[in-house]
Parts: sequence; C-alpha cells; structure tokens
Amino acid sequence: MPESSGTDHHGGPNPPDPRHVHPHHGPGPLAAIAVGGALGTLARYGVERAAVANAAGFPWATFVVNVVGSFVLALVVTLVVERWPGDRFIRPLVAVGFCGGFTTFSTFAVEIDQRVRHGHAGTAVVYAAVSLLAGVGAALAGITLARGRVRPGTGAPGPVDPDLLAGDEESP
Amino acid sequence: MILVGLVVAGACGALLRYEVELHVRRRLGPAFPYGTLLINVTGAFVLGLLTGLAAHDGVPSDVVTVVGTGLLGAYTTFSTFAYDTVALAEQGRVARAAVNVGASLGVGLGAAALGLLVGSTL
Repeated sequence: MPESSGTDHHGGPNPPDPRHVHPHHGPGPLAAIAVGGALGTLARYGVERAAVANAAGFPWATFVVNVVGSFVLALVVTLVVERWPGDRFIRPLVAVGFCGGFTTFSTFAVEIDQRVRHGHAGTAVVYAAVSLLAGVGAALAGITLARGRVRPGTGAPGPVDPDLLAGDEESP
Repeated sequence: MILVGLVVAGACGALLRYEVELHVRRRLGPAFPYGTLLINVTGAFVLGLLTGLAAHDGVPSDVVTVVGTGLLGAYTTFSTFAYDTVALAEQGRVARAAVNVGASLGVGLGAAALGLLVGSTL
C-alpha cells in the first residue's frame, strides 16, 4: 500500500523522495500563489486594456508583459534560491503567482497564429523572435542583477546552482 | 463584475499551473521542464479553441475575457519558460535549452492553430 507510505498530500504511488517533498506545501503558500495569480492577471488585463488593440500589428501589450515578467521572475527566483533559501512566501507570491499569472504563453501563441492566418506572417515572425530573444535576455538580466546584489563588488556571476531544476527546487 | 471573474480565474489558473507542474515533475523528473511545456501547449490549444469559437458563434465577450485572459492567461506562463531556458543553458545543457525553445514554440503554435481551426469549424 504505497499510497499510505508517505506524508505527501498528493498521494503519489511512490514513496516520497525527500528531494520531491515540496516546500510550498500547506495552505499559506497556496494562498500566496492564488493571490499573486489574481493580481498578476489583473495587472496584465490592465496593460492589455491600456494598449491600442490592433489585430494585425505588433502585440505590444503581451510583449511588454512577458519581457517584464521574465525579468522580475528571474530576479526573484535567483534571490530566493541563492540568498533567502528559507523563504516560504516571496517565491509563491511574486514568482509562481504574480509573474506566472502576469505573463502568458497562450495569448502569445494565438497572437502569432492569428497574424499568420490574416496574412501578416512578417509581423508574426518578428513578434515571435523578438519575444523569445527579449524574454530570455530579460531572464538572464534578472539572474545577473540578483547575483550582483548577492555578491557586491565581485562583478562576476555566482556559481550556477546545479539543483536549480532539481526536485527540491520548485519551478517558478 | 468582470474584475471579480478575472480575480477568481487568475487565482485558479495559477493554482492549476502549480499543481500540474508539480505532478508532471514527480512523474518525469526535473531534467527537463516537461510540466511547463505541457501547460503552455494545452493552454494554447484551449485558447485557440475559444478564440475560434468566439469568432463564429458569438461567445459572450465577458466569457472570452474571464476564461481566455483570466484562466488560460494565468495558467500558461512565459516567464517560467524563459527562466527554465536560461537555467538549462547555464547548467551546460544547451541542447535541452534549445529543445525547450523549439518545442514550446513549434508545438505551442501548432496547438493554438489546431484549436483555432477546430473552434472555427465547430
């Protein structure tokens, strides 16, 4: 009866690997994810409402949201992982909740497809490429800024945490 | 009223993303961000479906906003995708980082296109 062999509330069939026991367990961090997700969604809705909608043009609202959110998430996750490992609320609230809810992949994908369908393939290609480059660049900038703050004066990035995507690290 | 819908949908989307990501990683391990890929591909498909339906069948715009912008917008994520890509590359797993970008874009766009097609023919 493997289901009863662990304290894992997800009730998986395997005994809980200690690396996979999630630090966010419990109602507090889940509430933080929900609150952050709601706020991020409202903020994205606000940006989209403020932008001039143009079904054929460059989707500036989604672009700005995704690049800014990628920067903030990378900054916060790096600070938490490398400086505040005991944190239980900042990462679920700001990274998983707010930045995850603020940025969006589904709208990004549909916007590209719609531009291709309506004969604006050039805009679609530019939008996809620039979003990817700027989003990844923003994430890199966030990580670098966080490390500069962690190690002032060194000017060099800190060592890469080999467990960044390992089971004991929740994905942002 | 639309703001209340967005708050509830955004909270549900973020929690759903968290749970799916957690379950997928428990099954498939942490070596590749399969969870975020699955989330973004399924979310892109459903948003394509909703967009296709709305263009032809007069789905109320409030429903499109709450489900599309709220639930699916919060469920899918660009920031985690960007971060995971950089993290993989920093670990020296450049091929995996490239596969993450290629698969997210290729399969994600394909899923959205399929959703749009199905939604507009239903």
